[in-house]
Amino acid sequence: MFFLQLRSELWKLFGKKRTYIGFGMFLIAQNAMLLAFHLSHWQADLSRMLEVNGYLAAEYVSALTVAVIMLLPQNVLLMPLYTSLIGGDLVAKEVEDGTLRMILCRPISRFRLMFLKWLSGIIFAAVLVLSLGAMALFFARFWFPWKDMFVFAPGLVFNILGTGEGLRLFVFSQLFLVVNATVILSIAFMFSSFNMKPAAATILALSYLFLNLVIESIPFFERYQHWFLPYHFRSWLMVFANPTPWARIAESQCILIAAATTTFIIGATAFQMRDIKS
Amino acid sequence: MPQLLIELRNVTKRFGQRLAVDQLSLQVERGEIHGLLGHNGAGKSTAIGIMLGQVWPTAGDVIVRGADVIAQRSTALARVGAIFEGPSFYDYLSGRRNLEILSSYSAATPQARLDEVIGWVGLRGREESKVSTYSHGMRARLALAQALLPNPELLILDEPSDGLDPEGIHEMRQTILRLHNELGLTILFSSHLLTEVEQICNRITVIRQGQKVFGGKLSDAQIEKGWVRLNVDDFERATQLLQAKGWLDGKVNEPLIVLDPVASTADVVRLLVEAGISVFEIARHEETLEEFYLSLMKGMSRKAP
Repeated sequence: MFFLQLRSELWKLFGKKRTYIGFGMFLIAQNAMLLAFHLSHWQADLSRMLEVNGYLAAEYVSALTVAVIMLLPQNVLLMPLYTSLIGGDLVAKEVEDGTLRMILCRPISRFRLMFLKWLSGIIFAAVLVLSLGAMALFFARFWFPWKDMFVFAPGLVFNILGTGEGLRLFVFSQLFLVVNATVILSIAFMFSSFNMKPAAATILALSYLFLNLVIESIPFFERYQHWFLPYHFRSWLMVFANPTPWARIAESQCILIAAATTTFIIGATAFQMRDIKS
Repeated sequence: MPQLLIELRNVTKRFGQRLAVDQLSLQVERGEIHGLLGHNGAGKSTAIGIMLGQVWPTAGDVIVRGADVIAQRSTALARVGAIFEGPSFYDYLSGRRNLEILSSYSAATPQARLDEVIGWVGLRGREESKVSTYSHGMRARLALAQALLPNPELLILDEPSDGLDPEGIHEMRQTILRLHNELGLTILFSSHLLTEVEQICNRITVIRQGQKVFGGKLSDAQIEKGWVRLNVDDFERATQLLQAKGWLDGKVNEPLIVLDPVASTADVVRLLVEAGISVFEIARHEETLEEFYLSLMKGMSRKAP
């Protein structure tokens, strides 16, 4: 029964056109970025940075390098937007449309229904992130050669990797991005479980995330940055560091998973207490 | 097998300061078609929401199919179907997919059962079309199909005819009667359409401002025993005379009176004519449901068992 009900939630989610907006936008954004890489001075700047550090630029400006560079802004800007959009819809849109009332006259418990919705949202987040990663690599390969990899993120990582090792870590890092997306979706899901419109839930979730980002970037809060989500969201990049700071990554993942679970519980509790009326 | 399929005991619901349902007690027995009447905002939908565990009561007990809706939701609602005013569906999916989704929250439903219900409601041939292409009538049939899928013994219908044209209303009425007669379903039917209730229901409950103002058989509502219609040229003096004679039990609502059982209409006519009052008509009064309902809404006292 559980899997039957989960299948129903997935049918609903993936049957909607708006679910695919994120995929479409990533497709456009990635190709636009690749075009910009080719037409701007970006390649020359990257080569200069590598050569200053004693590396042969021609070896490391590769599909893997470009794929990671493309993922950086997309995971800060686009991914939160589209996961929040879906997370904000999960409960509030069904309440708004009246379909939730059709479900809640059935013997399913509210908690189970919420868990199913959350799980379907997580599946969406995973599919979105993994598609984003696969598309980034796929399109980057069209424009750039398949060579060794160079990863640079100020203050976090500066490393060069062989093709095989680079690909393995690239795939591995996607799992941590799925956790990031799950947290963002869970925040939107939590707001969506309260009595509000879907758009309001999405906006509140995005506002909360951007507030985290802004406060964290203020120098005064530097010593408190581990209290903010973006600090932990960046742990996916640390996978590429040498040596890999596993303790720091594990700490961030635990905090992110706890944040996702907490927001789910708050949302489910709020929903449990609500009256559902037409 | 419980004989009472719905039992509300002193149920109260407050939304903040607003009292939506006030000490409502209601019983729906197995096999009956029970009408729930009341004006907009009277508390009908809230009461139905409470019965289905969608709205939490502030106080009182809600028993459906012998089980407490809050504590034993899965038992209480296992064989309950519901249709709401303006039923909502996943318009971007087909009718069949909608049925598969909605039924999955009750129990695993075999495709054969889906086909059977689709045929029963007359949607065969259109079940693979998107719901966005359905007419009002087809949506109403789809709503009926989803309500029938859990093989219900109790059907709760909240304004099911709302938005339908006269043909659709007629069709819905016939369907409800078929469900009752062929499948033996117990039905709670909430509606504004008094003629529908009159033609379908055998018991009614009338709610005003969250309170029950009448509960009983439809025949009791239509023929209020003891009410007599008295058309005279001076109603006030006539009632004074009857009062003085002790033939009036106190209830007066021009032109209606309630006579004491000792007084026959012949005695009344003789008394009034001898007093110089012209009597144009004196007859036992039979109210239509509409008159009865309107009198309740105006606040006339009625028994609420």
